[in-house]
Amino acid sequence: MQIVWGNKKHTKEGKDIKMETKDLLDYFSEDLFISQMKASTKDASLDELASLFVKSKIIRKKSIVLEMLQKRETLGSTGIGKGVAIPHGRTTAAMDVKIAFGKSEQGMDFDSIDNKPVNLVFMVLAPPHDENNRYLPILGKLVEVLSGVKNRNKLKKVETFDEFIQVFNGVD
Amino acid sequence: MLKHLELLVALQDLDVMITDIDEVKQIGFKVGGKEKLKEARSQLAEKLSKPLLYNYENLRKRYKRAIIPVKDDICLGCFMRIPTSLITRGRSDQDVINCEGCGRVLYWYD
Repeated sequence: MQIVWGNKKHTKEGKDIKMETKDLLDYFSEDLFISQMKASTKDASLDELASLFVKSKIIRKKSIVLEMLQKRETLGSTGIGKGVAIPHGRTTAAMDVKIAFGKSEQGMDFDSIDNKPVNLVFMVLAPPHDENNRYLPILGKLVEVLSGVKNRNKLKKVETFDEFIQVFNGVD
Repeated sequence: MLKHLELLVALQDLDVMITDIDEVKQIGFKVGGKEKLKEARSQLAEKLSKPLLYNYENLRKRYKRAIIPVKDDICLGCFMRIPTSLITRGRSDQDVINCEGCGRVLYWYD
């Protein structure tokens, strides 16, 4: 299976939605950031990042979100290769679009398309219907940014949320 | 084991996933066929009582979302304030509660 890296144009009702890298900054927050994940498996990493959403009161029930994420993984791993995984989904349990980030030094088996361990996990949760239709453009932009080897290498070194934000600020 | 409301939410989440699958594939994610999801949907639907499933399917025909969030005790579908008598029951997730205004199933965020 070959992965197509890059941001596709998404249309909804004839409107083109353009997403810049800096626009992603609106969806990150310090309470959804882990520089050293404890998880060493895919399931544990989904649980660890979903827990951040609960702690931040973005979602109330973790079980609903995990159910959705695990269903999504059964369709094909969200480990898109090159050490990156982007578990994602729209769920009734989410009020707004948000992205959690976790970094694993040792890497974990995510059943990725290249069978390599994953070090960078971005969890994207969105409500079922979003008036601004940001979910798919966000996913596309994230894939595009993470396709850059420099960006991935910088992200693998981040220790603080500020450093993490700087990486996205520095993307051309 | 998931409660009735959680099952309904899982069903709505699956329906949304089925709708999104082609676009997610376009972005570059590895995604299997819709058939797999539809099978999962059927299995999930079997766990629901017939009246609940019938109610959900009818609401889906009428609205984009059959299950609608409640924020500050207001239905975000029709913006009607939820009666106090329903709030405690709704928050507990024990019962499936329909909005008295629009009829949609209510899900409390807070």
